[in-house]
Formats: sequence, C-alpha cells, structure tokens
Amino acid sequence: MQGFGRFLAYRLGRMLVALWAVVTVVFVVMRLSGDPVPLLLPPDAPIAEMERLRHEMGLDRPIFVQYGVFVNQALRGDFGRSIHFRTSAMQVAWERVPATLELAGASFLCAIIIAIPAGVISAIKRGTAYDSIVMGVALIGQAAPTFYIGIMLILTCSLWLGLFPTSGRGEWRQLVLPAITLGAFAMASIARITRSAVLEILRADFIRTARAKGLPEFYTIAKHTMRNAAIPIITIVGLQLGNLLGGAVVTETIFSWPGIGRLAIQSIYNRDYPIVQSCVFMTAGMFVVLNFMVDVAYGILDPRIRRK
Amino acid sequence: MSHRGEGDGMSVESLVRQFRDGVITRRGFLAGAAGVLGSLAAAEGLLARVAGAQSKKTLTVGQSADVSKLDPQMSTTVNDIAVTFNLFDNLTSRHADGKLYPSLATEWKLVNPTTWQFKLRPNVKFHNGDPLTSTDVKFTYERSYDPNAKVITKSVLNTIERIETPDPLTVVIVTKKPDPLLAARTSYYAGQIMPKNYFQKVGEDEFNAKPIGSGPVKFTSWVKDDRMILDANRDYWGGKIAVDQIVFRPLPELAARIGALLKGEADIVTKVPPDQMERVSKAANTKIEGVLYGGLYCLSVATQKPPLDSKPFRQAMSLAIDRELIVKELWRGQAAVPNSMVIKGDAHYDPTLPPLKYDPARAKELIKEANYKGDELLIETPIGFMVMDKEMSEVIVSMWKDVGINARLEQIEYSVYQQKIREKSFKGVRWTDPTSAYNDPDGMMWRHLAEGGPNAYWFRNARFDELGTAARFSVDEKFREQAYKEMARIELDFLPLIPVIQPMELYGLQKAVEWKPYANQMMEFRRFNLKVNRA
Amino acid sequence: MASSTHASVENRLTDEEPIVRRRTVPLFVWASAAFLLVVVLAAAAAPLVSPFDPIRQSLRERLKAPALFAEEGRQRHLLGTDQLGRDILSRVIYGSRVSLAVGFAAVIIGGAIGGILGLISGYAGGVVDEIIMLVVDAQLAFPFILLAIGIIAVLGPSFGNLIIIVGLSGWVTYARLVRAQVLTIKEREFVIAIRGLGGSTWRILVSHIVPNTLAPFLVVTTLELARTILLESTLSFLGLGIQPPTPSWGGMLNEGRGYLDSAWWISAFPGLVLMLTALVVSRVGDWLRDVLDPTLRGA
Repeated sequence: MQGFGRFLAYRLGRMLVALWAVVTVVFVVMRLSGDPVPLLLPPDAPIAEMERLRHEMGLDRPIFVQYGVFVNQALRGDFGRSIHFRTSAMQVAWERVPATLELAGASFLCAIIIAIPAGVISAIKRGTAYDSIVMGVALIGQAAPTFYIGIMLILTCSLWLGLFPTSGRGEWRQLVLPAITLGAFAMASIARITRSAVLEILRADFIRTARAKGLPEFYTIAKHTMRNAAIPIITIVGLQLGNLLGGAVVTETIFSWPGIGRLAIQSIYNRDYPIVQSCVFMTAGMFVVLNFMVDVAYGILDPRIRRK
Repeated sequence: MSHRGEGDGMSVESLVRQFRDGVITRRGFLAGAAGVLGSLAAAEGLLARVAGAQSKKTLTVGQSADVSKLDPQMSTTVNDIAVTFNLFDNLTSRHADGKLYPSLATEWKLVNPTTWQFKLRPNVKFHNGDPLTSTDVKFTYERSYDPNAKVITKSVLNTIERIETPDPLTVVIVTKKPDPLLAARTSYYAGQIMPKNYFQKVGEDEFNAKPIGSGPVKFTSWVKDDRMILDANRDYWGGKIAVDQIVFRPLPELAARIGALLKGEADIVTKVPPDQMERVSKAANTKIEGVLYGGLYCLSVATQKPPLDSKPFRQAMSLAIDRELIVKELWRGQAAVPNSMVIKGDAHYDPTLPPLKYDPARAKELIKEANYKGDELLIETPIGFMVMDKEMSEVIVSMWKDVGINARLEQIEYSVYQQKIREKSFKGVRWTDPTSAYNDPDGMMWRHLAEGGPNAYWFRNARFDELGTAARFSVDEKFREQAYKEMARIELDFLPLIPVIQPMELYGLQKAVEWKPYANQMMEFRRFNLKVNRA
Repeated sequence: MASSTHASVENRLTDEEPIVRRRTVPLFVWASAAFLLVVVLAAAAAPLVSPFDPIRQSLRERLKAPALFAEEGRQRHLLGTDQLGRDILSRVIYGSRVSLAVGFAAVIIGGAIGGILGLISGYAGGVVDEIIMLVVDAQLAFPFILLAIGIIAVLGPSFGNLIIIVGLSGWVTYARLVRAQVLTIKEREFVIAIRGLGGSTWRILVSHIVPNTLAPFLVVTTLELARTILLESTLSFLGLGIQPPTPSWGGMLNEGRGYLDSAWWISAFPGLVLMLTALVVSRVGDWLRDVLDPTLRGA
C-alpha cells in the first residue's frame, strides 16, 4: 500500500508540472497572438491613450517580468482582472463551470442510459434490422462533425418534430439536444463496445451453465456485461472528459449554452488574456483532479495496481 | 484534443487496446463525478426557474452576439446599443420615420449660431428615484468627450465648448463653431443621459454592472452568454411599454436564431440573411420587417500601396463590380445600389445621380492605363460581421479576376481586423459598414474620410477638406447641399472608399408583435412603437 | 505511465465477432477499399473528371437543386449548386484533394513526431522519458481547439499552418503507443541477448523494435486519418479551415450549415463523402488490427 501511495504522489506531482506547462504555453501563445489594447479603444483614440492603457495593464513591461507577475498570481489562484469584463477573471470563469458540468454530466448520462441498453439489445438481436440500425447510427455518430449533428438535431427534433427547445439553458428540455450533441461520439463508442462485450459473453461457458441452471438469460447477460464492460466504458468516458472543453466550444456555440467553452473562445478573440488563462487553468485543473481520483479509484478496485 | 475529443479517432477499440497496453492512464470515475455535479446544477437551475415562474408578458429579442458593456459611453456596438437605448433616454430621438422627435428635451432652439438651448421634460426620474435634471445632462455630455475618461465616444459631442445649466430644466450648450447637427447628435450614442450622483457614488465598474437610467426598462439581471433581463419601468414618463419585461438573448448560430423565432422562443431576431427571408415570412406565426440600412457596405482601400495608389485602378475596381447582380441574386433584391457616399434617407441625398455603374470593358481599359503588373490584391475580412460578407467577398474577388485583377480573399479574426484598422495596416481592401450618424453627410462621408477618420488612409484632397470643414460648421443648408454634392463627386473620382451596396436590414418578428426597425440600428422599444397582441 | 494489464479490458478489444479468425477478406473491406480507391482516383484526376471549374461562380445559377437533367437552356448540375452558383459535384471532387492532403500530411507529421518521441522515450527511459511523458500529459490536459485558435492567430490561416496544427493534434497517440510497444519488446529475451552480445542500440531499435511496432502503428494511422479529416471540418466551423475559394469537404459542410433546410444539397453531399471516408478508413483500421495483431484474435 505504501508503494501505491508513493505512486500516487508521483502521479500527482507530474500532473501538477504538466498543469504548469499548460498554463505557460497559454501565456506565451496569448502574448504572441496580439495586443488587446486596440480592441478596448475606439478606432480614433490617440496613441498616447493606447500607451497609457498598455502601461496600466502592465503590457509595456518585458515579457519575462510579465511572466513573473503571472506566475506569482497563478500560485495564488488569481489571474488578474478580465480586460473585457473588468472583474476578477477567475470569478468570471468559475461562474461558467456549472453550465459546462451540467452539459457534460447530462451528455454522459445520456450516453450511458441510451448506449448501453442499445448495445445489449443489439447484441442479443444480432443480425436483425434493429442491430443494423443501431450500429449504423453509432457509426454515423462517430463519423459526423459535432456542429453538423447539432444543427441537424435543431432542425429535426426541434423545428420539425417540435420535441425540444432550440437553444438556451434553463429547463431540462433545453438540455437534451446539446447533451446528445456533445455525447454523440461517446454514445456511439459505448454502444459499439457494449455490443461486442455482450457478444462475447453470449458465447462464454458460464452463460451456458446459467441457462442450464434455469436463470433468466437477460439477468445473467446484464450482470456479466456490466462487470466486464464497466472498466473500458469508464476509460472512454474519462478520455472524453479530458477533452471536454474542445467539444463544449462547438456545442455551446450552436445551442447558445453559457458554458466555459464559449467564454474561452470569445476571450481568445477579445485577447482577454486573464480569462483565457483562467479557463484553461480550470479545465486542465479539472482534468488533473479527476485523473487523480481515477487513479485512486482504480487502485482501490484493482489490487494488482496497489502491489506494483 | 479536438472538437469532441476524438483523441483516438474513430475507434473505441483502439482506446481500450491502449488502455490494456498501459498507453493510456486510467481515468474514468470522473464520469460519475461530473454526472452528479451536473444533475445537481440542473436541479438548482430548475428550482430557480420554478420559483421565479411568472405570468409576465415578455418580449424576447435574439441577437447575434451577447451584450458586452452597459455603460453607454463604453461601447458603440449594435448589440449593446440595442440595450442602452432602452435603459436610457436621450434629449432627442430619431424614430423609424427618420425624423427627429423630442425625448427628454421637449423643445430646443438655436439661440445664436453657436448657442443651443434645450428645455427638459419635467418630473422625469431615474430608476432609483433620483430626478433627472440639467446637471445630469451636463455631466453625461462632458464625460463623453473628457480626454481623461475611459470612454470611446469622444468624437460625437466634441463640438461642444461649454455647457451651462441656468436651472434644473434648462441646458444651454455653446459650441466651438456653429454646429447645425447638434440636436441630431444628442440622439446618437454618447448622448444617453446618465445619473450623475449614482455614477459618482458607485464608480465606473459598478455602473457598468448595474446601470441606472431613465428609460422604459430597468436593469434586472444578466447571466452572460445566456440572457439579460430588463423589467419594465412602470413609472416611465412615456408610459409603460406593452410588456412587463424584455429579455435579450445571444443566439450566434444562425440556425438556432431562426429556429428560436420559428418556434416562438424569440419574438424578435436580428440579422436575418436574405436567403432566410422566405422561410420566416412563409411560416404561420412569423414575419419579416425590413428597413433600408442608414449606411453603406463599402470597400475601404489602402490607397497608399501600389497598385491601389493609382486612381484609374481604383476606378476599375469599382466598375468591375456588378452591383445589380449582387443585389438581385445574392441579396434577392433586398438591397439598393448606391450612387455615392451620400445615402438614400439622408439630408442632401441626390436622387438624380445614377446608381454606380458596372462596365467591365472600361475597367479593363483603366487597368491597362494604370500599368497594372498583376500584383496580388487582398480583401482581408473577418467572416460574419456583416450580413453576407463572405459571399460578397468571394463574388467580388471573382468579378475582379474577370477583368484581370489578381484578387484573393483572406479571412482574419475580428480582433485582428480591429487592430489593423488602428494600425492602418491593411494590405489591400477591407469591408466597412459605416453608419450615417446624424442622417447627414457630415456623419457619414466626412466623418469617415476627414483627416484622421477611420477610412482615410493617405487620401487627401484640398478641395474635399475645405468643403467638408466649411459644411460642418455652416448653418446654411443651401451651401451645405452644394458642398456635399461636390464632395461626393470628388469621392467617386478618387474612391478611397468604394460604395458597394445599401442593404436592407431584415428582422424576424412574431406576427403578434408590432414594431418597426430603425434605419440606424437603434432598437428603441417605447409605448408608442411597440404592440404585442397576445395574452 | 502505469502500465498494468487488465485481462478484462483485453477481451473488449473488438466489437467484431471472433469470426475474424478466418483469413478471408470480408466483403466490407473490399467495398471500403473500392470506395477509397475511387476517392483517391477522383482526387488525382480532379481536372479530368470534374464537369465544371470548382471555383467558377454563377450567381444566376445559385442554390439550384440536384438534377439529372438540365432545365431548358441551362447547364446540368448533377449535385446542384451552392450559394454562389458553383457546381457541388466539381467542388466535392476537388475538395477530396484538400481533405486527403490535410489528412495524410497531418498523419505523417503526427506519426513522425509521435513515433520518434515514443521510440526515444521508451528506449532511453529515465529523465528523457519523464520529460517526454510530461509533455504528453500536458497536451492531454490542454483543450486543443484553444491552442489551435491561438496558433492560427499568431501564424495566420494557411494550408501549411493548418496541416501543422492538425498534425500536432495527433502525435500523443503515436508516442504512447510506440513507447508502450518499445517497453514490452525491450525486455524480451532476444533483445536482452543481443544487447548482451554487444549489439548497438540503433541496430536493436531498427531491426527489431521498429518492425514489431509497425502493425499497431499502421492501425492507429488509419484511425488518425479519419480523425484529422473530421478535425478539418471543425476548424472550418470555427473559421480556421481552408481559405476560400478552395473547396474542402469540411469547409463545404460548414458553408452549407445555414442552408440545411432550404438547400440541403450544399452540405449533404460533401458531408456524405466525408462521413463515408472517415467511416471506411476507420473500419479498415479495425479490420487491419484484427488481422495484424494476433494477441487480439484469441479473445
């Protein structure tokens, strides 16, 4: 157990260094990508005014001095004031986290609720029209760009069928379409993997034994599938979450969802360095924390890792 | 790593395989964690909504982007003005018919060529109960051009020399030189009257976060990128508006914006492209309201760089554009071909001037005359900041190629575009959509092409400057008319700005909503101009 | 990188039924290969097979629906025309050039960087390994789209920069894969034996590790190819894709997104080809893996 503890400490340490690297890259890229000052003043503002603002924001100092200030701030969990919103950048970013978590949580919930049963039934009814349709849809889910899926869903489910609102955040019905859009890829993946897991189980000896014993078949299948497919499914879900922000950017734009992805992308366009840094720090930090939790959980679930 | 994290591509199986190989670390319970957090957040949102369930009559406006600032002197973008012109009032107001009406000022007169007197409406109160007086007007105007204030509206009211407030309801404004447009200027942005006491008490940032005005709606709440809620001001001097609240929602994706209108989730949406017009007007419950934009879509030319420094070349560029075709096919007739920088709807518009010509043969001759060697000509533009900007750019590139100009389109980010305007570092031409500020050529042709103006590169013409300056400070409308006629001719000869079209601005509305858009993009909702025919 | 093995995971590696043990090539692979061949040929012979110039506009012909026969006195546009009156079929054909070029170039860049770093990391171990894996972790934690936007803002949008960005998005997968393979092979007896006999590091790498890693590498490549083609379309959505008027499938799909219910053909055809290509490539990848990697077939 001590070895495992050391392993965790090592993992955590390295993830933190990775986090620092991420934030540094953001710092450098943002500084290279352009000057925020012209965006804050009218086109006819005098040069002196720009200089004054630049000075006020500390942008006239050498880049390494700026970096020093930045690291100092970052260590205190503060990335300064938003250039655009004129309040604490960390706070602006933090306000967006619930919306994105809500969307991500719902999309994975959707993926699991829809995809696992679909995969199980698909396997049981292997070779039927149902199987072909489910797997066909799954393949499309893996091969279509997110923005296309999103707009198609608005058109079909919202405008033609009238089932859900087109956009926005509030009641649960507004959550459905963006959740499916963001979760489409994971859903498709999980459906396919569940099907293959079940197919294997169907051929396994213990199923035959169970049948001989007269246990209900569906019960047996479900139980074994859940046990055997759980870890790979969780792995996929974990990887998806690591990429949460990327997917959220597109989904949140299409469905006018007030999450952190949209904030981040707009802030890049506004050259609002503090906000971009806060957003990236927060998502990368989330990634690190969740990964660490997963490491711990795996260690608890699987004794072999502890022994290492 | 990419849009939805297909970090490992198409195959789940490969992921799992790598997982087995130890190539991927284990992460996964995050799903559960995020799920739980997510549903908690959802439940909380739901509760909030149930608690706040109201039978309030609401007008929902879907715009193409979120509001950015509420301090009226800190922003001039369309989406912000739509809000601030309802939170605040101006002394005068230009209605949908293009005429100037009294607003906070009940009457105004020119006392002598440089002195204006405004009488204020009595008993007007700000949302916090403070009375609105001449002190607030003086404070607002002076801040708008105060060199030390961090405002971006300094060029609007800077003809003012001093402001006097002989009594709470009288404002006397002395201008540096005669300013025939002062009353019109007060209706424009920078002229939204702000409460001096409240502003000075809470400071700039707090005012921007919780603005107080005297307008028909009050600021209630704002969830950024989601919705801004403005409750009706029941004590509004012009009468309570026809709804209990106005909600502004950012709907950047066109399909979602149109969809929200068609499904009844939005009552008014902005920036409907002509190709979507039919869909909206044919639907059972929605309609289109269009207004000829009080401005132009122009190409601004970096006139200092060869081959653009050649006058015949610029003329060729203009002659090579088939504006009729663009209007008829691309815009489905929802635009007009301009005849100069003095636009239809403005004072001193000359209807006798023919629309700008398409003459590819003449264009080719002029190009030869200009000794054009085939240098690349760039249109640098962000995409989506004007309706149809990408399509028009592609079409014009193609039309230029047809007459032998080696043109190319380069997409740039909006922030880069802004930066290039400031640095005057465009390599070729760029799009610009100048608004005619006071329904007068001074707020359009001269504002943009005067020395230091945003579209004046190295273009300078002594006669043009002389006339522009004289007309600005003249109260003789006959002289001004002649001056602008001549200036328009000079502009069309030199073409530092190539007018392309004067578009219709299309708004999608619920049929139950009666409201007419304004040509200057100011979205005013008042008792007299808004009706909502539903329970 | 923890690298313990889960037997239960190993069993999930394929959703194909274990009939893949058979050596016959399934029909879908033939069909896929045929489809890919058509796409590649069309890309190569674009000027010969396109009915129109893909960037030639005709505003009077804009938004024409697909038609088998031309209207009286008009030209025939088999797959219709787009919002500028350009022929969709010709654009899809020319678009395959860009999409395939981006896909292949990006895969080569990603594969080369990832492969080499993975080799070094796995073979050298120690500090070098730590550093490389640190970079891997950093990139995994990084929302890549944001980085892409930042890089394009710095470098400007161009075909070359697009390829670099898409290429950089994928190297991590290769690096981890190759590293894991190297780690496994490094400890095998024959490698240890060669080293004991004084064999040079390079020789071991080249003659043993590289061939052994090739099969999974190839599989990942097919999957990455599909991913990069999709990524290009997402970048187009964000305005970071191929510059107009050059057609690419992703760009066309994006241009048609405002016309989905009035002129569905603008995005439907490039979308169909894009999805089919992505699908077919990844399915072939799945199949290749089953054939090439014996450890997977014992399930």
